[in-house]
Amino acid sequence: MNIIEIKNLSHHFADGAIGIDDINLTIREGEFVVFAGMNGSGKSTLFRHLNGLLTPSNGTVILDGVSVADDPKRARRMVGMVFQNADSQIVGETVYDDVAFGPENLGLKRDIIAQRVSEALNAVNLSTHADQRPHLLSGGEKRRLAIAGILAMGSRVLVFDEPFSNLDYPGIRQVLNQIVTLHHAGHTILIATHDLEKVICHAQRLIFMKAGNIIRDGAPNDNLKEAERFGVRAPCASRFGKEPVSWLL
Amino acid sequence: MASMTAFSYLTGASALHRMDVRFKLASMILCSLATVKAQADGLLLLTLALGIILVYIRLPLNILIRELRYFSFLLLFVFIARSLATPGEPFIKLSFVTLTYEGINDGALVCWRLSNIVFVGIIFVATTRPSALKTAVEWWLRPLPFVPEQRVAVMMSLVIRFMPVILEQARETADAQKARGVENRKNPFYRLKKIALPVLIRTFITADELAVAMDARCYTEKRTSVSLTACRNDWLILGGVILFCCLMVV
Ligand SMILES: Nc1ncnc2c1ncn2[C@@H]1O[C@H](COP(=O)(O)OP(=O)(O)OP(=O)(O)O)[C@@H](O)[C@H]1O
Ligand SMILES: [Mg+2]
Repeated sequence: MNIIEIKNLSHHFADGAIGIDDINLTIREGEFVVFAGMNGSGKSTLFRHLNGLLTPSNGTVILDGVSVADDPKRARRMVGMVFQNADSQIVGETVYDDVAFGPENLGLKRDIIAQRVSEALNAVNLSTHADQRPHLLSGGEKRRLAIAGILAMGSRVLVFDEPFSNLDYPGIRQVLNQIVTLHHAGHTILIATHDLEKVICHAQRLIFMKAGNIIRDGAPNDNLKEAERFGVRAPCASRFGKEPVSWLL
Repeated sequence: MASMTAFSYLTGASALHRMDVRFKLASMILCSLATVKAQADGLLLLTLALGIILVYIRLPLNILIRELRYFSFLLLFVFIARSLATPGEPFIKLSFVTLTYEGINDGALVCWRLSNIVFVGIIFVATTRPSALKTAVEWWLRPLPFVPEQRVAVMMSLVIRFMPVILEQARETADAQKARGVENRKNPFYRLKKIALPVLIRTFITADELAVAMDARCYTEKRTSVSLTACRNDWLILGGVILFCCLMVV
């Protein structure tokens, strides 16, 4: 079943810059897709159409049969987004409050919120930090907090924009482990990155973007060797003709 | 963002943390009003009480003092202005300005009042979750006609949310400029100009990012709000505060 269907999607910014240009794409429920491309290739712009943060100049995005434009609130509930800058998406004064922010916006009852928050914090192993101030968490913990924030809303599709930027090695492994676990639990995962090394081993599908267009779409094994033609560094192993290895091993 | 500023919520379980925010808000306003009316003995009373509370809620005092550095410049400025502008018996007479006894007395009182009010505010912010504050403000504004209480409350809680961000960014920008030798320029106006603009721009960018992140999580004004429940202790504390304020003023 296709959970995301994108038809002829284009976005032109007010200053005339072209963000994305006539994109057609379908994503099945439970898929793990990596979007790669240089700075400015349109990854973030594409992602922001999935939950209606940007309105298309042309075309539609359909989530599980319903267009984003028709029901943006449903789209935001369904597609949870983790942004590049972990600090500027913290809204709560404590870890608990931050995770509760989404469910509170949905107008849920207090006891249901409490239950969802504790489930989400358990899922990302942050339960012991519930009363801490989010700004004092480590980089990896902040990203996991952001993940908990969208899990508590009940999102089925999880979208990550550069989830590994600014993280140290343990931080990368924490977040990667989290993403892989959520994928196994049945979530659809979309990741934008220009650094394939860390995720490619777990992806089922690799999409290259350039200047607002999708120029390659296929299994990582098939199109990984072309990476450097599109301004993305290929993983070390594949440069030497070997299979990439997971960062979790 | 590792080092946090004093002007933000501090997790804890003290009586002040547990107090119903509507009562806390009323107490804060009463104390501030009483401060404006009080003379030296009343102010001393409040300062002592505030000192005890500061220790009781375990506010990190060393950080607090560092944060209040700039505020003390403001106090100094107010003090000097007051001492020079109040007529009375001269204390020191320079060519065209006179420092008067009354002025010094008056300036000291005004500064003392200002700092008391600031500390009342700091204690309030440190023990109150912004979400709870928002609900309390909403509750107090509800009887007033023509006031969009929900919007006002959201704005207030956002201002409080942004205070630490702005201060943190000011500090980072100042450090970056120090690294490039801004301290060689002695003109304070030049330095103020050079710091204000970048901080403003960065604050806008962060505010923008935050707004998008809030949108992505379905932000609306009609949200599940914190449930407020007053208990006997809240009434007792409020009664105590009223008594205390009367004591301060007379
Ligand atoms: N608010 C905006 N106004 C005008 N142009 C914009 C705006 N945001 C993005 N663009 C332009 O749209 C294009 C796509 O940008 P986008 O941020 O989607 O790229 P990206 O692939 O996410 O890059 P990065 O790896 O740097 O995050 C770029 O050319 C960019 O300059
Ligand atoms: Mg981007």
